Amino acid sequence: MMRRTWWLLAIAMLALVLVATGCGGGQADKGKPAQEQSATPSGETIKIGFLGAKTGNHASYGIETLKGMKMAADDINAAGGLLGKKVEIIEDDHRSNPSEAATVTQKLINNNKVVAIVGDPTTGITKVAGNIAQQSKVVLLSAGAVGPGVVEIGDYIFRDTLLDALAAPAVTKYCVETLGWKKVALVTSVNNDYSVGLTKIFKDALAKYGAQIVIEQSIKDGDQNFSAQVTNIKQKAVDGIVFTGYYTEGGLFMKEVRKQGLKQVMVGGDGLLSPKLWELGGNAVEGSMVYTGFYPDLNNAGEKTKAFVQAYQKANNNALPDMFSAQGYDAVMLIADAIKKANSADPSVFKNELAKTQNWQGVTGTISFGPNREPVKSPVFLLEVKEQKWAVKAVIPVTAQ
Amino acid sequence: MFWQQLINGLTLGATYALIALGYTMVYGIIQLINFAHGEIFMVGAFVGVLAITILKVNIFVAMFLAMLVCMALGVTAERIAYRPLRRSDRLAPLISAIGVSIFLQTLMTVIFGPQPQAFPQVVEDALYKLGPVQVSRVQIIILVVASFLMVGLHLIVKYVKIGKAMRAASEDYDTAALMGINVNRVISFTFALGSLLAAAGGVLVGMYFNSVFPLMGVQAGLKAFCAAVLGGIGSIPGAMLGGIFLGIAEVLGIAAGYGDYKDAVAFTLLILVLLFRPTGLLGRPVQRKV
Repeated sequence: MMRRTWWLLAIAMLALVLVATGCGGGQADKGKPAQEQSATPSGETIKIGFLGAKTGNHASYGIETLKGMKMAADDINAAGGLLGKKVEIIEDDHRSNPSEAATVTQKLINNNKVVAIVGDPTTGITKVAGNIAQQSKVVLLSAGAVGPGVVEIGDYIFRDTLLDALAAPAVTKYCVETLGWKKVALVTSVNNDYSVGLTKIFKDALAKYGAQIVIEQSIKDGDQNFSAQVTNIKQKAVDGIVFTGYYTEGGLFMKEVRKQGLKQVMVGGDGLLSPKLWELGGNAVEGSMVYTGFYPDLNNAGEKTKAFVQAYQKANNNALPDMFSAQGYDAVMLIADAIKKANSADPSVFKNELAKTQNWQGVTGTISFGPNREPVKSPVFLLEVKEQKWAVKAVIPVTAQ
Repeated sequence: MFWQQLINGLTLGATYALIALGYTMVYGIIQLINFAHGEIFMVGAFVGVLAITILKVNIFVAMFLAMLVCMALGVTAERIAYRPLRRSDRLAPLISAIGVSIFLQTLMTVIFGPQPQAFPQVVEDALYKLGPVQVSRVQIIILVVASFLMVGLHLIVKYVKIGKAMRAASEDYDTAALMGINVNRVISFTFALGSLLAAAGGVLVGMYFNSVFPLMGVQAGLKAFCAAVLGGIGSIPGAMLGGIFLGIAEVLGIAAGYGDYKDAVAFTLLILVLLFRPTGLLGRPVQRKV
């Protein structure tokens, strides 16, 4: 009897502690937006939510996106605001966790009453949040998702990134027509979704522009030994190597290519876009090419881009903005423009204006939304490794097919 | 083409063999599959990188330092994690070995981060023509160093006193102890030898593939374990043969266009060999004691 009472007491205490900490945590979370709300009573600002990670695996994407968004809000507010109101960015942190992202999305919509959400930079979380935004009839514009199945969720869902489906064909055209590649080797990392998908796009594009894939080789993410694949490639005289995987394997693969005495360079998607490429590949990746939707190159930049890059550098110790900060900036600007044109901050109204966006000039280039709200972005920056740095090799204009 | 791929396979196989030797020697004496062996190999590779970048030594000195560090590490691991469990159920030291392996992976991830580190370019790339094939300088170094170490091991086991003690202990652990062999010393020596070879393998692999990362021991360790079983676990020539056999099979598999299945090659071979020769290629037939 005695023992039983003790147990009950212990369980009751434990439950109490859990409830107490649970509540405490909840209040702490709610506390911050509530304060912000009281400082600027609702109705006086147009709220745009940031959905992204400030901690966790994808933190760097989220942090950069948010920096861009805040710069955009500051620029809009400095120029007199939107429909006579100020734009306010509501930020939260889903810690790179999909289930947390669902909660954050709900909170942004229900508690903060945002009219639009910018984010998430990753495809997976965008899909989670997209379904919630679509049901709640709030515009969601992802500044980073490139995978399939995003805009298919519904008419409130947009994205403003350069899609591989447009970039890879443009780059293929350049390689075939300008660099004269006729025969290529195609290397795929078979346990990497991104690589498998990109290979498919490159295959179609190579066929379209009349280049021949004379040899196809598969590797795996995490592989280190590529001697057999490179020996296979060596048997065929190829003009270049199309490599669809990530930078780690890309760097090591090219190292083996040079070791076996081959002179070709490789071309690939932004999966190769990291300084690790030459840290691992050394001289072997000199001349290798990578495409990207944004590059802070002041020599080739338009006025808007120049101003953005300079403002970013000023605010960030001279560091250069990346794709994510630029796309975050453009995302807020796109939404603001749609609101201005629609003369309404009601998502069900301005989403139609947003969908009509054509030849809109942003810091990442020109953006148009196709009939399915998929972005067509121009130009594509083709970068090459030059003395262990990125250098712009070509700026390729893109038109919708 | 075929000969060229054979050279690629032989180089890869030599590194597998170096690691496989450690598995086989330890198993031969205390019937323990030392699952932390792959991590010793990984630590060896990292020590190699550090020695080259910080101490600015050449590849052979780096390899020597890696061997020293890993010998100490192997012997210490045996002291702390395996020796206290030697008289317990066979599962206990096995789990303990997995623990050591995870500990070392995590430790190195914390220190160096999960991203691969470049192995510094210490050997000038050069290609030599040998009839129909081209061999790179790195490949020659790997083949020469691996053969040198394997011959050395063979001489120690065959002719040196402690090697003879190793063979005695592997024949019958308890009887060897009764005959006055200090079995603890023999076991420590076995771990030292195995770790030394794994460290050399780590530095060679780092140099060959140009990168090292904290989880590199997992895949390599698994393959080498396969090689050891393939050759007949407990048999030293078996481990060498198994490693080389496996390396060549893997590379020829990729050459034939089955790159997608390259990691399955090792395990398919393992299953096939075990089906038809349960004790491995060079394993001794199981003797029933009447």
